[in-house]
Amino acid sequence: MSDLKNWQDLPLGGVIVEAGSAAKYETGSWRTWRPITHREHCIHCLKCWEYCPEDAIKLEDGTDAAGAPRKLVKEIEYFHCKGCGLCVRECPVNKEGKAVALEFVRDEV
Amino acid sequence: MTHVSSGKPKIVPITGAGACAQAMRQINPDVVAAFPITPSTQVVEDFSTFVANGQVDTEFVTVESEHSAMSACIGASAAGGRVMTATSSAGMAYMWELLYVAASMRQPVLMSLVNRALTGPINIHCDHSDSMGARDSGWIQLYSENNQEAYDNLVMAARIAEHPDVRLPLMVCQDGFIISHSIQTMQMEDDQAVRAFVGPHKPYHSVLDTKHPVTWGALDLQDYYIEHKRGQEQGMRNALRVIQEVSDEFAKTFGRQYGLFEEYRLDDAEIVLVALSSACGEIKEVIDVMRTKGEKVGLLKIRSFRPFPYAQIAQALSRAKIVTVLDRSASFGAHGPVFTEICTAVSGYSTNHPLLLAHTFGLGGRELTLQHIEHIISESRICLDKGTVGNRQGIWINVRGDKQ
Repeated sequence: MSDLKNWQDLPLGGVIVEAGSAAKYETGSWRTWRPITHREHCIHCLKCWEYCPEDAIKLEDGTDAAGAPRKLVKEIEYFHCKGCGLCVRECPVNKEGKAVALEFVRDEV
Repeated sequence: MTHVSSGKPKIVPITGAGACAQAMRQINPDVVAAFPITPSTQVVEDFSTFVANGQVDTEFVTVESEHSAMSACIGASAAGGRVMTATSSAGMAYMWELLYVAASMRQPVLMSLVNRALTGPINIHCDHSDSMGARDSGWIQLYSENNQEAYDNLVMAARIAEHPDVRLPLMVCQDGFIISHSIQTMQMEDDQAVRAFVGPHKPYHSVLDTKHPVTWGALDLQDYYIEHKRGQEQGMRNALRVIQEVSDEFAKTFGRQYGLFEEYRLDDAEIVLVALSSACGEIKEVIDVMRTKGEKVGLLKIRSFRPFPYAQIAQALSRAKIVTVLDRSASFGAHGPVFTEICTAVSGYSTNHPLLLAHTFGLGGRELTLQHIEHIISESRICLDKGTVGNRQGIWINVRGDKQ
């Protein structure tokens, strides 16, 4: 809590004077369940990226099978991931792990 | 900063509501959003005429309810405008959640409140239930004895509310019908002199400033909410000083001096009545009569109820032997809000411990006559002589069925 400001140092009325400052808010601390990637199964359909409400699925530049440039799933960014599980629900890959999966594990408290 | 009046003031016959509408015209706010309700209607009605006649530059928003009126006021204020509204009774009750939003967002919205009873049973006449219920909402509350004070308070309102050390909404209260619909003569100042006194509005983090985007009204949880509330409380504490500073400057400019409260013949008073608004006119009348009979009685008339000047009032009551408080609203199951504040002032800020007597009067416009006031003073004297208020504590005045 030491980095939090005293009341005298705050702008009046709770106004937030910095645009985009929500990115600094660690919603990852709300998480009780954590999605885990298995990249060897990922087909890079980007559905998890599309559905993630916190923009916590991070992409990287890559190529498709024909060598054309495209975006690939890189990792989950846990500073913002709230563990809502939407990525797990939307991942189209077979549950047996034949292709991809996001596996839900309980965070250590 | 000095102001020179460029024109002459006028003595005008006008109602209290009309006087506030004139003050609004002279202030020329950026936005007025209001919904008419008795007895504040004339404020909005007169002002809409000024808008239609092109006498003001105001964007006048005819909303469908008071909830929307205050919402529009908050939005327009956050956009950087000087914003005003008027309402009464159930209208203010319908603004309820937004009253708190305006205060906690530190938006200096200005309101002309014409005090009226709250419904149950339906009643359109004066008491202070509406504003007293809102006393914890974070609005500055100034009470006005007559038309002149209602006008003067509204002229001072913007300077107080918008002061950077305050930044809080402010309501100017006047008694419904008794003041709002009664024609009295008062001094209306010159338009330019009023505008010069009020001065320009300085926006604070306007949402229309697209080069500096801001967020107003964000979620605020355990880590910062209480710090923001503490800052809000500081605005109120600072307001005690700012109200007096602005009042002093008003006196230099226009010649009428106001304080946080008025002391009427208090110097040697053993019996002190405490009241707000129009009843104080009658009380002064009775005090003058009883003074000629040798009774040492005075009045403490509260102008600023929020913030409440505890220490200053305790000082003013430091020689009183009995303080009789007249509340024009009821807090059911408890004593009235003015009484409890006076008790706090006396017990927490003073070594003088006078007898303290609570009375409730005037609900729903029930009259308080000169005879009632004389009776209250005489009974206060009897309590003082006995050394106890006994079973007079909490008596409702002029109620059939109660021993007076």
